[in-house]
Amino acid sequence: MSKDFCDMEMRFVYGETLCELIEQDPKVMCLEADLSKASGTNPPVAARYPAHFLNVGVAEANMIGIGAGLASEGKVPFCASFSCFASRRVYDQITISVAYANVNVKIVGTAPGITAGPNGGTHMCFQDLAIMRAMPNMHVYSPCDAIELRAVMRHMARSRQPTYMQLIRHKVARIVDPDYTFDPDRAVVLREGRDVTLVSTGYMTQFAVPVVDGLAREGISVELLHYPSVKPFDAATLVASARKTGGVVTVENQSTIGGLGGAVCEVLSEQCPTRVCRLGVPNQFGEVASEQYLFDKHGFGPSHIEAACRRMRNGGND
Amino acid sequence: MEDGTQPQAAFDRDEFDRRAAEWRYVMTDMICRAGSGHLGGALSLVEIVMTLYYRIMRIDPANPHWDGRDRLVLSKGHAAPVLYLALASRGFFPAAWLGTLNADGTRLPSHADARCVPGIDMTTGSLGQGLSCACGAAYAARLDGKKHRVFCIVGDGESDEGQNWEAAMFAAHHKLDNLLAITDYNRLQIDGFTDDVLSLEPLCDKWRAFGWEVFEMDGHDWDAIYDTLNAALAVHGKPRMVIAHTIKAKGCSIVENKAESHNIKVPDRATYEKFMNALETKATLPY
Repeated sequence: MSKDFCDMEMRFVYGETLCELIEQDPKVMCLEADLSKASGTNPPVAARYPAHFLNVGVAEANMIGIGAGLASEGKVPFCASFSCFASRRVYDQITISVAYANVNVKIVGTAPGITAGPNGGTHMCFQDLAIMRAMPNMHVYSPCDAIELRAVMRHMARSRQPTYMQLIRHKVARIVDPDYTFDPDRAVVLREGRDVTLVSTGYMTQFAVPVVDGLAREGISVELLHYPSVKPFDAATLVASARKTGGVVTVENQSTIGGLGGAVCEVLSEQCPTRVCRLGVPNQFGEVASEQYLFDKHGFGPSHIEAACRRMRNGGND
Repeated sequence: MEDGTQPQAAFDRDEFDRRAAEWRYVMTDMICRAGSGHLGGALSLVEIVMTLYYRIMRIDPANPHWDGRDRLVLSKGHAAPVLYLALASRGFFPAAWLGTLNADGTRLPSHADARCVPGIDMTTGSLGQGLSCACGAAYAARLDGKKHRVFCIVGDGESDEGQNWEAAMFAAHHKLDNLLAITDYNRLQIDGFTDDVLSLEPLCDKWRAFGWEVFEMDGHDWDAIYDTLNAALAVHGKPRMVIAHTIKAKGCSIVENKAESHNIKVPDRATYEKFMNALETKATLPY
């Protein structure tokens, strides 16, 4: 790897990787709706590949339709905006013009969940994994670090499937191996364990790893399953782990309704009834606040993950 | 015709009149047979769609995905039956399929569907999205230096949707002169006259203000349609909008120019006969 992408903000990894994908396949295009600097594609893509860069203005619905039209002509458009605008604002446009029509549009929701930070409650989208997962034909990914992001993007450029991907904008320390390959049908077993299964995706995986390592030092063996793909969802790895540990904790930078925790409960209730504790935002909107404040308010930060794993190890009781 | 490479069918007014009456009869039967459907907005487009598919558009029925074909996006996807008539009539699929509209397992669903209907270029049905898709297709053609044109038919009621105006700005900003849109201005939407529900006026001025070259035509007059579309296609440097003045449910006297023609309900044989008898000319059904 010529650059250490793990030292870069994730949005610039997105921009740089998009440049590489355009270089490899001239059909790849970058669509933006006046947030190109926030997405990290301007200047990288805008300056180096202006013919592949299309800024439609503050018009997300139009961006999705234009993406569908480009895809119908063989292009591979990556359409980015803040996750609140890239998913819930254009849910019907994505449903009909992309997923129902089954055209090859890639939608990128940036600044997911609480990472919307100072933009506050209006911009904190806690339901994009849930609503995109509920859409037939749609594939839903949430990579956890720069290496995985690049692998997921390479897969997206090759695949012919409508896809939604969450993009963390800031820098995240390396989590997966440098030679990582992305398989949407496989969860990533980041730590093997016996006592409890911890399931995470996207932004929360970086917090889950040190919690699991800390508990291991106390002799509490937690199996950490990271799901870069929430749909398709690797049920087999989850079920095997739940059979082994007998208790599952989920954590996500999303609502506890319908997202990763929802997917886990759907699988386990049908295939391997297991006690589950879902951590995330419980049926509430966001607000302008620090990450620590929001973790504490909603109970899904490192200390809450650790406490939930301890409780689950004790049969779910305090 | 501009950039014409495809031989066009000779225009025989009597033959086109006969075919228009036949399309109206068959479409009404298809929709009645299905028990319900969007009759009014399909009948208003008969002359326009026939002119496009017989005299204007470059197509290859034997090769629906021919890369050099002109594209058509029916943004008012509920008028799909009129496209089905055009496509069957030009030989994209067997006319016998027409009798399967909305039937279980059909390849001809109520709304235009590119996934299962040969010759349909874009899947539509949720109003207000087609013009954006047409912009994307036109933009792609320009990027690739392709010479085909992209046509888009927009409904007047559908023009209430804000996304149309996002697309209007985009097309003008990028001077998409390979894009030609037609508004089916029959002045009726589901709940009544457009002037009563949400007035579009001054519609021509709106499109002009958005940077489009605007034309008006009588959407049932063969010569007006052909001449206006060709005049519009000759304009370069900006997108073209043709406002077509039409009559909703044209040709079916009991619901002509009435809002209830938008989505008719045909619960029984008596109602079916009422609709079929309201058509001036009978025709043979191809199924």
